[in-house]
Amino acid sequence: MTEPGRPGRFLALHLPDLATDRIRRAEPGLPPGLPLATWASLGSRRLLLAVDPVAAAAGLLPGQALADAQAIMPALLLRPADPDGDARALHGLALWARRYTPITATDPPDGLLLDITGCAHLLGGEAALLRDALARLRRLGLAARGAVAGAAATSAALARTRADNPVAVSGIEARVAGPLPLGRALRLPPALAGELSRLGLRQVQDLLDLPRAPLARRFGQAVLDRLDAVAGRHRPPLRPAVPPPELRVVRELPEPIITRAGIDAALDQLLEALCRDLLQAGLGLRRAMLSAWRVDGAVQELVVTTSLPAREPGHLRRLFAGRLERLEPDLGFERMALEAWATEPMAAGIQAGLRVGGRGDEAVAAVALAQLLDRLGQRLQVQRVAPLASHWPEHMVAALAPQAASPAVPAGWAALPQPVLLLRRPALLEAVALLAEEGPPALLCWRGAAHRLLQAEGPLRLEPEWWRARPEVPRRDYYRVELASGTRLWVCRSGAAAAPRWLLHGHLP
Amino acid sequence: MPPAGPEVPLDQAAVLAALRSRVARLEGSGRAPQDLGAIPVCEGMGLPGGGLARAAVHDVLAASPGGGAAFCAVLLARARGTILWIACGGEGLLAWPPGLLRFGLAPASLVLVRAERWSDALWAMEEALRCPAVGGALLAASPGRAAGEGRLDLTATRRLQLAAEAGGAFGLLLRPDAGLSGAESRAEPSAAATRWRVGSLPAGAAGGLDEPRWRLELLRAKGGAPGGPWSVTWHAATGRLQLEDAAPAPFREGLARGTAG
Repeated sequence: MTEPGRPGRFLALHLPDLATDRIRRAEPGLPPGLPLATWASLGSRRLLLAVDPVAAAAGLLPGQALADAQAIMPALLLRPADPDGDARALHGLALWARRYTPITATDPPDGLLLDITGCAHLLGGEAALLRDALARLRRLGLAARGAVAGAAATSAALARTRADNPVAVSGIEARVAGPLPLGRALRLPPALAGELSRLGLRQVQDLLDLPRAPLARRFGQAVLDRLDAVAGRHRPPLRPAVPPPELRVVRELPEPIITRAGIDAALDQLLEALCRDLLQAGLGLRRAMLSAWRVDGAVQELVVTTSLPAREPGHLRRLFAGRLERLEPDLGFERMALEAWATEPMAAGIQAGLRVGGRGDEAVAAVALAQLLDRLGQRLQVQRVAPLASHWPEHMVAALAPQAASPAVPAGWAALPQPVLLLRRPALLEAVALLAEEGPPALLCWRGAAHRLLQAEGPLRLEPEWWRARPEVPRRDYYRVELASGTRLWVCRSGAAAAPRWLLHGHLP
Repeated sequence: MPPAGPEVPLDQAAVLAALRSRVARLEGSGRAPQDLGAIPVCEGMGLPGGGLARAAVHDVLAASPGGGAAFCAVLLARARGTILWIACGGEGLLAWPPGLLRFGLAPASLVLVRAERWSDALWAMEEALRCPAVGGALLAASPGRAAGEGRLDLTATRRLQLAAEAGGAFGLLLRPDAGLSGAESRAEPSAAATRWRVGSLPAGAAGGLDEPRWRLELLRAKGGAPGGPWSVTWHAATGRLQLEDAAPAPFREGLARGTAG
């Protein structure tokens, strides 16, 4: 996390044609030479929202009326705008950019901000990192420009206004931002930019030279805030797309790996490294994420959780083992990272004693049980049960996480006659009762055969809990019935009095 | 060369079972059940070793789903420790903690595991039995499943038995009774230590449906003779299974065969 005022290095990426590039990516069949634009309805008017470079070169502008644009350029390809999809794509790109640094943020509507403090040397310097990012975006079919500077807003302003992808020195943000055109650098609304331009204020420097108080009165505090951010006087912290992990190990793969054996080997190395870091920090892992970057830019992620802090590579490997098959290498992974997303303090020594086994040591047993429940939980539904004070059968028990402690049993919890096995969904039964509205059934059809009843106890009338049930939930009359074969069932009558339904809800001992 | 006597065709297994049961009766009268190691079922049955062995798996064939589940709950509660109840898909039958509590199985010690596929359920059971921190584990095959799904053949049961021996847990395999005769059920191959059949009997006059009656039958036992059928009643207040004294004549015969060999 970047504290305000802390010197850092920031990379900004600007994707000017994100909306149209996305359409061309989704529809590879579109002829590349033809102009493309998106449109949206604004009240009763239909306006262009984004235009691609071909259309822009022909003189089309965002905000133009759709009918005018079609008149100017009949060949114009049009697609409805999808701002939500664009925002999702931008968020996806922010996740993709985590290959460079754990702290990446979106800069809506069409920018990304990366805190690359201390990360650039991995790719041979800031300029090389910037070139690498731009080249990869271009391969993904996205036009992009970028810049590196000592403040996030400065780098964003540079990326938006200069075409040469500059890398600026830290500490002179005001001088770097000075010559930039005011409207685009500060992202002012066109009307305000025009007004400033008529006053002779065309560059950022012009505004910096003016006294601040009258500026704030005339144009509002928001303009001043943006000016301060671009000039590096005020550094709002980045809001990362994903909060950064507590620990992270990365492995660059010189050859893309495709085989399971290769993935296993890479995971082993990552686990060894992460567990070493955890040991040094005195921490145990509660949640870990394995990220794999595919050659074509897709990022795949696997998450495992543990019920007790763990830092034994063998145990974590077993947790991942069942899920690695979900990775789809396709053309291969070129980079894998393992991140600790939740950790807890962990004393040394507990795991070391694990291999001893036996029933004596309680701490050892607790760890062994936690590891067992972790392993089962990766593949199956594992839960503890919490008894709740309720009379309605479906509300008597709540599911808990496997590592949670079960609360005390409420008084009189199981006082009612309860079945030992409950049907998840009560099953409809054919039944013959002497009276429709009351009394037990005389004959039951169960598993394809009719059964006489030896005896029946009931009814136990349960009214729905009025404070939480929907009003249409009917009350139930429960009976304990014994079939001639000795089988004992828990059945209930439910529904309207005129046409009651008989349901099998459980098996009695 | 041993001298040839009238008792040469000696049934070693039967003699061993008789001796074991006598020792168990001499020793087991005044001692707390968990000290014995074996899990007691019911006083007066005279099982070899005083009950069901820990660190082993036992087959339970349930003629009625509720009776089988409740009988297993009684045994698991006596095994102590953390209990894993592993259910496999099918009809959607859930182990119901409010009802199981009446048979001694507290919700705090219960972990419910649910598997969609039978192979996953077997895997979970093996892992659970292998874990030294698990007191008991139950694998419940849902009734009315396709033939191949709920199958426990010799290989599967032997794997589970070996896992239980390694981990020390008490394992139960709860399956619906296929309705086979006693001889057929005995012949079905399995590496489980014992095989039981649990059926429901009509409720007695005294307790009504609150004190369920079951018909227990020990179909086979490793290193022991089969026994039963016994009629037993569950008394929730005392937490005990009560063997009925007034067993009908055929039941008495089975009892005699089981205890005296």
